[in-house]
Amino acid sequence: MSKLIETIDLVTNFYTHEGVVKALDKVSLCVDHGCTFGLVGESGCGKSVTVRSMMRIIQEPGKIDGGKVLFYPGNNGSETAIDLLQQSEATMKALRGDKISMIFQEPNSALNPIMSIGEQVAESFLFHRKKEMSQQILMDMDASISKANPLKSILKALYRLAATRPEALILKLFSKTPLLKSWENRLHKEAMRRAVEIIAKLSIPHAQDIARRYPHNLSGGMKQRIVIAIALACNPLLLIADEATSNLDVTIQAQILDLLKDLKQKVISSVLLITHDLGIVAETCDRVGVMYAGNLCEVADVKDLFSEPRHPYTRALLNAVPRFAHEGELESIEGNVPNLVNPPSGCRFHPRCRDAKSICKDAFPESTKVGNNHQVACFLYTEKSREKS
Amino acid sequence: MNKKQHPRIRELKFTLSRIFRNPSAIIGFSLLFVFVTVAVLAPYIAPPKYAHNPYLMPHKGYSQTPKPPSSKNIFGTTSGQYDIFYGAVWGTRTAFKIGMFVIGVALIIGVCLGIISGYYGGIIDEIIMRVVDIIFAVPLLVLTMAIVVAFGRGLDKVMIALALVKWRDYVRVMRSSILTLRELDYVQAARVMGVSNFTIMRKHILPNGIYPVLVMASMDIGSMVIVAAFMSFIGLGAPKGYADWGQMVALARNYIVGPVDDPLKYWHAIAIPGACIVLFVLAWNLIGDALRDAFDPKQRRR
Amino acid sequence: MTTYIIRRFLFLAFVLFGVSVLIFSILMTFSPERRAMAYVKSPQQVKDLPIIVKQLGLDDPFHIQYFRWIRQVSSGNWGYSFVAAMPVWDAFWYYFPITLELNLYTIPIIIIFGIWLGTVSGIHRDTWVDHSTRIFAIIGWSLPTFLFALIILMFFYGYFNVFPPGIIDDGFNVWIRENPDQFKRYTYLYTLDGLLNGRPDITLDAISRLVMPVFTQVVVVVAILLRVMRSSMIEEISKDNAITALAKGADHHTIYFKHARKNALIPVVTVAGWLAAYSMEGSIAIEYIFNRQGIGWWLANAAISLDLPVLMGICLFFGLVYVIINLILDILYAYIDPRIRLN
Repeated sequence: MSKLIETIDLVTNFYTHEGVVKALDKVSLCVDHGCTFGLVGESGCGKSVTVRSMMRIIQEPGKIDGGKVLFYPGNNGSETAIDLLQQSEATMKALRGDKISMIFQEPNSALNPIMSIGEQVAESFLFHRKKEMSQQILMDMDASISKANPLKSILKALYRLAATRPEALILKLFSKTPLLKSWENRLHKEAMRRAVEIIAKLSIPHAQDIARRYPHNLSGGMKQRIVIAIALACNPLLLIADEATSNLDVTIQAQILDLLKDLKQKVISSVLLITHDLGIVAETCDRVGVMYAGNLCEVADVKDLFSEPRHPYTRALLNAVPRFAHEGELESIEGNVPNLVNPPSGCRFHPRCRDAKSICKDAFPESTKVGNNHQVACFLYTEKSREKS
Repeated sequence: MNKKQHPRIRELKFTLSRIFRNPSAIIGFSLLFVFVTVAVLAPYIAPPKYAHNPYLMPHKGYSQTPKPPSSKNIFGTTSGQYDIFYGAVWGTRTAFKIGMFVIGVALIIGVCLGIISGYYGGIIDEIIMRVVDIIFAVPLLVLTMAIVVAFGRGLDKVMIALALVKWRDYVRVMRSSILTLRELDYVQAARVMGVSNFTIMRKHILPNGIYPVLVMASMDIGSMVIVAAFMSFIGLGAPKGYADWGQMVALARNYIVGPVDDPLKYWHAIAIPGACIVLFVLAWNLIGDALRDAFDPKQRRR
Repeated sequence: MTTYIIRRFLFLAFVLFGVSVLIFSILMTFSPERRAMAYVKSPQQVKDLPIIVKQLGLDDPFHIQYFRWIRQVSSGNWGYSFVAAMPVWDAFWYYFPITLELNLYTIPIIIIFGIWLGTVSGIHRDTWVDHSTRIFAIIGWSLPTFLFALIILMFFYGYFNVFPPGIIDDGFNVWIRENPDQFKRYTYLYTLDGLLNGRPDITLDAISRLVMPVFTQVVVVVAILLRVMRSSMIEEISKDNAITALAKGADHHTIYFKHARKNALIPVVTVAGWLAAYSMEGSIAIEYIFNRQGIGWWLANAAISLDLPVLMGICLFFGLVYVIINLILDILYAYIDPRIRLN
């Protein structure tokens, strides 16, 4: 399989009053075309920061301080790679929501309370499909048999311009001036039509009616579907689901997951799923990455990870999951998640690790290949440690 | 990190360090420090001439034209030959008296009613809040004027009138912060454990809910001094010759425009008491601003 | 929506009733004789005070007097103003246009300027734009209106000799009074009437006298709006829905001005009520200092000469203004926020 997006040694810091929070320390992961990648870990381990860094939507006081985010939009290998961290804000703007899109954890706050559902979904089309929609409007106008009048020809000219150069200055000028900005009416109508279409596609009943409503009169699950609709509007190559189901009821959680699975097969190429629920990972993902305190500890195919966990943290995590067949007390991981202003030296897990050795305190373990597509960042598996022991 | 300290002390230290990282707090507190010093040491800085009433400004002669600063009157004299330096020094005491009294009384009334209203709710809440709504309908200055006219003139009447109107603000703020606190888990937990209402209020609600009120109060001290100064300015507050900044501005009112050849000749008569008012108010506003930033949970841990 | 408006109407009627009771209670702290003074129109009548008290029933129980008073007030009998030397009701309409004119100019400037500066300051948080705006706000907030007005007057009138105080040049004033047929008072606003009568010189003069008061009022009052707008803008920008919009592909401009600003305006609408109150308070000092015979000037002078009926009348008037402004704000609120509109 070919790569879709890849991070190399991604470093993100948050500059707070208490000090620099080293939220991500050299995270390297790779999502392939057509793959569902799960990113797991405790809260605060940097899962959300990772994906937000990938999209470059880290908020103040956070800053991406190093690494690369390589994106391979073509389906044919690495020659088309672009480093998202080097791109201009305008390029990123064009990519976000079009090629890469994101679903958020909290559907209640992810939607703007004072814009109607339809408007919010339609925005995606207005941002990314202006050209296409203008062409369609032009075709519709040509097809209609009403008489030509001067106003209409001006309108046509504007849409012809929008169909070729949507960024043209004169269009912006028109859109900013009161009264004149009504030239966009057809565009808005078309975007709205598409919005209703996509809402209906997500098996939401009465899409037409829902589009006219506001977020506060929808249920949590419904809102999350709308958030998904916004993300899917432009058929992205990569859909990032940031704890998309964590705050929902179990039944609705299942519905949303089924929906995502279904969409994955039909529409989207790849999904990057962030969760702290290992059950969801086992059920939906192809590959899994385990994160701890801003480090990626282990990446493996889902079966390998569950059958043969290598990293001590992964093992501890799997042991902490309640199981039906299991008897006796649940195991927990001793100690606390470290404060990332002063993270432990060397491997960040060593203060809590049962198998910690002296080297773990001094050096950062490089990621090593331990099997078929299975990588671990732990000294238990590196050549260096083998030589020593 | 020192783990032995009581969490409240640690929190206080953190808050203080946050407050004093803010330049506006440093300016504000320094200004306030100067004013406090002047107010405390007033009898030594400007020894009173009339032992029975030190707030009476000494004056030599009755000439209406202000005199520029000289060696005798280092800030000059204002209309009626009152010594501006003396007035500025003792006016500091007046300003503190006004601010502390008005805000103190208004806080006590407002916080008590706000707690009762927010915590018990129901019919008591309804009555208190409707009364507050009514008092809110008339602007502070207008209502104060009406009360002062009804009670009679005088600085003490102005202070009482202001306190009688100002409490309305604190009831609303206190009530709303209690309404949010009341539903929080730790208050619910305390209630489930059978802690008495009074103890819950004293230990859990008041210490956490009072911050917004205190921030507001620290800013209001300044604005109360402004209102009182205006009342003195138009002649409803302090009488002529009383060491009050507003009254001193009033004395200079007719001399804002000097003779034709030197239109700004009497600038000192208005600028000095004016600067006192502005700096005093500025000090409290800067402090209030810094307190608000420091207590704002959203900005706190950035 | 209709029930919402009806509820608001009932509430406002209640507030108006409460204000009238409150004002009447203040009035009742006076002895009947002193209240009788309000009905005395000439010095000769003073010796008849006890008769007036009896005639008007000024020693009746509270509620009887209250309802009598309300009847009088609603029929336009608000007492007699010594300061204006005419009945309060007539004097009110004489002074009102002056205050209205001042606020017609200041309020739009305050709103536009405050929202704009607050937005800019919130977007560019912790930059020099933000810092200077905040410094401006805190200084404006610390300036007593009357003092600032005096200093402005001192410099612009005293030193530069531009922008004189008053409402209109004395020459114009006399001419207008003597030639009512040549200068028709359509609106009683000098700036507008000047234009309507084809006398731009009068408009210009009136405007030049408005510059200082308007400037003073704007500087002092805009600070509140600016601060609220700034903090609510900062809050909206950091909200999750702003990130959703960003992830959707919106640029920062769209997020600030389409997503965040409308949300940020909701808390601003709530403080707009205070804004009105501060403007009213500000006009008292401004009219007093700049010698503009409006409601505020009248109120200050009535307070000095203990002209009680005026104070009562103006309190009632401000109560009414408050009620009307709040009604407008409630409707505006519902217009901006669908959560209120649709519930």
